[in-house]
Amino acid sequence: MSERRTEDQASGGVEEILRARSAEGPVERKAPGPTAWFDIRRRGTGHFAFSLNRITGLGLVFYLYLHLAVLSQLLGGEASWNGFLETATTPLFLGLDVLLVFGLLAHGLNGLRVALIGSGFVPNRQKALFYTLMTFGAILLIYSAIHVFTAEG
Amino acid sequence: MSAQDQVPATAQETRRVRVHRFKRDDGPAHVDEHEVPVGARTTVLEALRWIQLHDDATLALRHSCFHASCGTCGVRVNGRERLACVTPLADVGSGTVTVEPIANLPVLNDLVVDMTPFVDRFPEAHAIVRDSEFLPEADVPEDLGRFMRFEDCIECGLCLSACPVSATDDSYVGPAALAFAQRMLEEDPGTVDRDALLDWADQDNAAWRCHAAFECTEACPSNVRPAQRIMALRKDLRRRRRDQGRTVPEIASEDGA
Amino acid sequence: MRRSSPHVLIIGGGGTGGALAHDLALRGLQVTLVERGEFTSGTTGRHHGLLHSGARYAVNDKESAVECIEENTLLRRIAPGSFEENDGLFVAVTDEDMAYLPSFLAGCEETGIRTQVLQPDEALRLEPLLNPELKIAVRVPDATMDAMRMPLRFFATARANGAILLNYVDVTDLERAGGVVTGARVRDVVTGRETTIGADLVVNATGPWSEQVAHMAGVDVPIRPSPGVMLAVRGRLCNMVVNRLHASGDGDIVVPQRALSVVGTSSWVVEDPDDLGIPQDHVQRMIDEGSMLVPAVREAPFRSAWSAARPLIGSKDDADSGRELSRTFKTIDHAVDDGLEGFVTITGGKGTTLRGMAEVCADVVSGKLGVDEPCRTRETVLLPHTAVFAA
Repeated sequence: MSERRTEDQASGGVEEILRARSAEGPVERKAPGPTAWFDIRRRGTGHFAFSLNRITGLGLVFYLYLHLAVLSQLLGGEASWNGFLETATTPLFLGLDVLLVFGLLAHGLNGLRVALIGSGFVPNRQKALFYTLMTFGAILLIYSAIHVFTAEG
Repeated sequence: MSAQDQVPATAQETRRVRVHRFKRDDGPAHVDEHEVPVGARTTVLEALRWIQLHDDATLALRHSCFHASCGTCGVRVNGRERLACVTPLADVGSGTVTVEPIANLPVLNDLVVDMTPFVDRFPEAHAIVRDSEFLPEADVPEDLGRFMRFEDCIECGLCLSACPVSATDDSYVGPAALAFAQRMLEEDPGTVDRDALLDWADQDNAAWRCHAAFECTEACPSNVRPAQRIMALRKDLRRRRRDQGRTVPEIASEDGA
Repeated sequence: MRRSSPHVLIIGGGGTGGALAHDLALRGLQVTLVERGEFTSGTTGRHHGLLHSGARYAVNDKESAVECIEENTLLRRIAPGSFEENDGLFVAVTDEDMAYLPSFLAGCEETGIRTQVLQPDEALRLEPLLNPELKIAVRVPDATMDAMRMPLRFFATARANGAILLNYVDVTDLERAGGVVTGARVRDVVTGRETTIGADLVVNATGPWSEQVAHMAGVDVPIRPSPGVMLAVRGRLCNMVVNRLHASGDGDIVVPQRALSVVGTSSWVVEDPDDLGIPQDHVQRMIDEGSMLVPAVREAPFRSAWSAARPLIGSKDDADSGRELSRTFKTIDHAVDDGLEGFVTITGGKGTTLRGMAEVCADVVSGKLGVDEPCRTRETVLLPHTAVFAA
């Protein structure tokens, strides 16, 4: 039977390893953070829909603030409101209106899809549902765009 | 492509493989480049082991079964979650291949992540065998009672890595754990406490945290389809709430009911 | 942690190392296990997952056969829920195979392996995708395990009982003081640091790497790495394990693994267990031989092909193919064989016999260290494999 080692000798190396591994220091974690929301490279349809919803969601929130800022023009009286109305009919602004409609349609229709799937209805057809609803939305968008650009006044 | 078609002639070319490297005491992570000789069907894992054997013995890899059964070799190849052992380099385009550890779990070193937080998300340990649905026309010997097989989930963590919600929320239990819970409820081996499992799933950081990106199902190499299972779980939860006459728990308790 | 018991350092984190750590921990010894990669990343994790009934060895290697059937029964008790317990079939496809039947049945009877002879139509009812030209089938108590997760349960239980299990720690040298091994020089792959781990006894449980490690201590072990190729195809083509009824040959087993089918295996001998290669003609042989058992193998979609090295015991002069080398296991006390104290090698064996190998080795180790504790692994039910990750 061999001599028993002292505690230090026997486990010193092991404790050193354990201590070094649990020490404070750079512990990497591949946490992409919000960039993962928008990184659609090599991702599927579902992820694209998710990213679309996030972006349009942010866009619509931004629009809300914009809308309130616009409405505050009313506080400036008729003159300032009329001034605003002039900008509101420029092609650029009308274009932004179409963008808004896009955002509403995309977010709303996709939201409908998420609500359906998320409630357990047709989760196996989520890709087909996305394409169907987006096609429907595209038709509505084109119709709206035509209206926005050709409406009187 | 059948197994018969897969016996190739050996071709010799090289691919540039970029590998994420990280050692605790060596400062921040960096990327090493290697030129690896590859054949027609060389896999990512084989390329990595070539690097380990011929270029850099300090490269740490995680692998065990070499046939998509153990789930230990999960990595991200050019940004997509794959099992290295069954991913031929031929499937990854023809240019540079970048290999990184899977996301949303702590990196221990190089390509090896710490699976402890992954395993901790599961509600509890259950049997991992179930009835085999394959060859339903077969007779089962009476003394066996049933043909059984292992559950599909190989605990590889690819689903957690691909989930955009997990990218920003560490408290989300994740697709694997939820799919596991749904499988237990669906299979019901008689050892399951259904109420406890449903309680566990009926939380903000569990079944309700999913935002239907379906990337987990895309990434899963084992046909678990976690996203569909999460939705099925929600259906079960809603049915339970309705049956128990619950809508918003807080309001119910206000009446002292 | 109490330090009054001897410290054993186990090199090698395969099934054998894990089972040994479990056994020694139950006997109250201090155990440290070091593995250079992930646990079971050597040979253990790569095998097709067969829980042997031992029938394959019933004719030519009765010692192995008895070990197998005993451990088969035991493992189902201590690791419940870790096996697809569907039994197996030995299928005769040619007249030559049929000639093997009598000695096969006699061998199984002698070694305590239960058998049931099935006519072709009976066999096809159990396994519809079998070769319809089969002549006879024999049912045996084979089963399928998850090649990584079942051994991992030994690790989980050992850890819970105080063993320190360190993966990603590479042994670079063994330390000797005269005629005694005193520990190992190691490098922690996680941090890159080097250090020394002292021990009262070092166990070499590195499978096909046994000789490399033994050389660090200046001794030899008669181990040859003998790899074999395996092929996985998509589709669960059988629920039972399907074997060829003949004396061992290439590609004579089809093992179901979840939704895959694994065909194995072949055999050759190499020098370097790290550089096995995958001979393409061997893969072709798997397809050809496997299709004789289950014709659907030929057209099934490819999933993976890989090699794994068995640690086969024999001397260097033994047969070239590796198949003739004994598959039994061996505990080598180097004090007896080489006059070197503090160093034991446990090697050989197969996935099914991990617990039994560990018991024999743990008896030797305990004896050498003056620890008078019985083996408790036959009765101890193992923790689930996920417990190995317990924080």
